[in-house]
Parts: sequence; structure tokens; C-alpha cells
Amino acid sequence: MIASTLITYGQAIVLGLLQGVTELFPISSLGHSVILPKLLGWDIHQNDPYFLSFLVATHLATAIVLLLFFWRDWVRIVKGLGRSLRDRGIGVDDTDAKLGWLLVVGTIPAGLLGLLLEHKLRAIFASPESAAIFLALNGVLLYGAELLRRRATRTETDDDARIARQVGFPQSAAVGAAQALALIPGFSRSGATMGGGLLVGLSHKDAARFAFLLATPIIGAAAILKLPELMGHQGDGVRGQALVGSLCSALSAYFAVRFLMRFFERKTLTPFAIYCLVAGTTCAIVIPFL
Amino acid sequence: MNTRSPIVVGLAIVLGIALIALSILYWVEPASSLPSIIPGHEAGSSHHHVKHGIASFLLGVALLIFAWFQTGKKDHADKTAA
Repeated sequence: MIASTLITYGQAIVLGLLQGVTELFPISSLGHSVILPKLLGWDIHQNDPYFLSFLVATHLATAIVLLLFFWRDWVRIVKGLGRSLRDRGIGVDDTDAKLGWLLVVGTIPAGLLGLLLEHKLRAIFASPESAAIFLALNGVLLYGAELLRRRATRTETDDDARIARQVGFPQSAAVGAAQALALIPGFSRSGATMGGGLLVGLSHKDAARFAFLLATPIIGAAAILKLPELMGHQGDGVRGQALVGSLCSALSAYFAVRFLMRFFERKTLTPFAIYCLVAGTTCAIVIPFL
Repeated sequence: MNTRSPIVVGLAIVLGIALIALSILYWVEPASSLPSIIPGHEAGSSHHHVKHGIASFLLGVALLIFAWFQTGKKDHADKTAA
């Protein structure tokens, strides 16, 4: 089977643009990449090796965009981590070091769960029907996080200082572990982390910022880990489409992160919750008849 | 986070080193050659559990870093927020 006959450049552009947006919006990129091909009648399936290779490239592009968008923050965070390792402790006012270790602690459970469960969960929940149902449930989770959220305390002017002050290590581990929900197509990684951030008392903007910082190493590491598959025989016939798709993904991811950082200055997760609930329920009803 | 218990620190160091050693085992040995008590053992399989190895390595490094912080100077630890 020649992969280029299964994924066209047009499909690559649509899927790339979709991936960049849905990876960062709290609406599940994996769920959309399962549901959309089914709705459009494309013969693309979640567990096809060539499609996984294609997704690796688009994810890598998204991770690079996130890294570049928050580049100055990452430089400060890495310096903070180095400082704390040198001093064998985190200084009281060392916001960068505290934030860095919060990200490390949040990334470990998500990374471990991802490494150990990814294949099993994808194999079980790869169907568009289940993705649609989980997308609706993702809407319920987002709305639940809004209902249960603690009011953010406005004590610091600096974003990172507020996050470092408000989030503890156990809470960061819990929020990070919640990212593993996104291994199930339909649940959103950024939705889980933003929702978790709201529950520990972060504002919407800070929760979004923490979610994007937390997402960068996980998305990047997962993509780099699978990069050999794209370079190997699984990528034969799909590398051109993967390149086009990843450029589109990078473009849409850039505009998505810019949009969301402004959006969450004043708005909530509720519009995304409503979208997930409506889209998920509609697709769950429609898909069995396609 | 600074419990400073010698037992906890000792356990973290021993477990950390053991997990890093285990990660090397996962990387170099096929699933069939892994001891049967280790997760991932499959008789007759030539598959290398690379991801198990990465998970084990990261956890081991995390435990060693934890021990590193716990054994830092007391006066600095008193000033830490962690």
C-alpha cells in the first residue's frame, strides 16, 4: 500500500491546520484527528502507521512553536533549575527555579503514564464513535472545572510568581498526571491542565500559561521519541505530506497560542465546554449512520 | 519537601541507582532475556522495551535529584520554599 495514495497534500494541509489549533485549544487534537476523517469520508485511521508518522511531524511542529513562543521564559526557567541544583535548594524568591521544578514534577507522571499506556489506550479507544463520546465528556470536565474553580488571588504582578506561589508540588504532579487523560482520543491535554490549574486557584490566564509550559516538554518528547518512525520505512511516501502538514500546524499553533493568551485574560473555558458537548454529542449521533 | 530523613534519602539513592540500572537492562536486553519478575518479560520475544527503559531512567534520575536536594546544606534548606 502506498501511503501517498492514502493521504493527499490537501488532506495534509487540513489536518495540519486542525492539529495546530486543536492541540492548544482545550478541545482534543487526537479526538478531532479521529473524528474529522470519518466525517469527511477520508480513508485515514488513527492507528495506521503512516498516519502516526504524519502526526509525529505535526506534533513536533507544535512543540517547536510553543518553545519559541515562550523562549525567554524557558531560558529563565532552565537557568533557575541550574541555580537550584547548584545551591541544592530552591530560594524563597527564586520564582524561575520553583516554576521549573513544578514543570518537572508535573511532567514526570504524564511522561510515565504516556510511555506505559499510550499504545494500549489508543488501541482500545481509536474509533470515531468513542472519540465523539469522550469529546462530549471533555466538555463536561471543562464545565465542571469552571463550576468548581477556586477564585484566583491577585497578589503578584508577575505571571510566573503567581503560578509559583499558588501551585504546590503535589498539585503540580496531579495536574501533570491529568494530562494522561489526553491519551484517550476526545479528552484534551490542555483542557485537563487548564482545568487542573483553575481547581488549584490559578486565574484563567495563568492556568493557560502553566498548561502551555507543561505541554511543551511532553509534546516535544513524545514527537522526538517517535521521530525515527517518520525517518524509517513507516514514513515512506508520507514525508512530503508530513512536512506540509507540520508547516500548517506550526502556523495555526502560533496564532492559536497568541489568541488563547489574550482570550483567557477575560474569558473562561465555558465556550470550549459548550463546543465539546455539542460537537461530541452530535458526532456520536451522526457517525454510526456514516 | 525537605524531610531530611536519612532513611528516605538512602531509599531514594538506592532506588534511583536501581532504576537507572534497570533502564540499561531494558535497552540492551530483548524482552525474552529480561528476568521474569521484571515487567515486560516475554518468552521468545526479541523486542526491546525502549520506552520502559526511558520511564525507568527518568524515574531514577528524579529520585537521585530528590536525594541531592535533601542532602543540601541545612542553612540553605531552611531558606527554601520547597
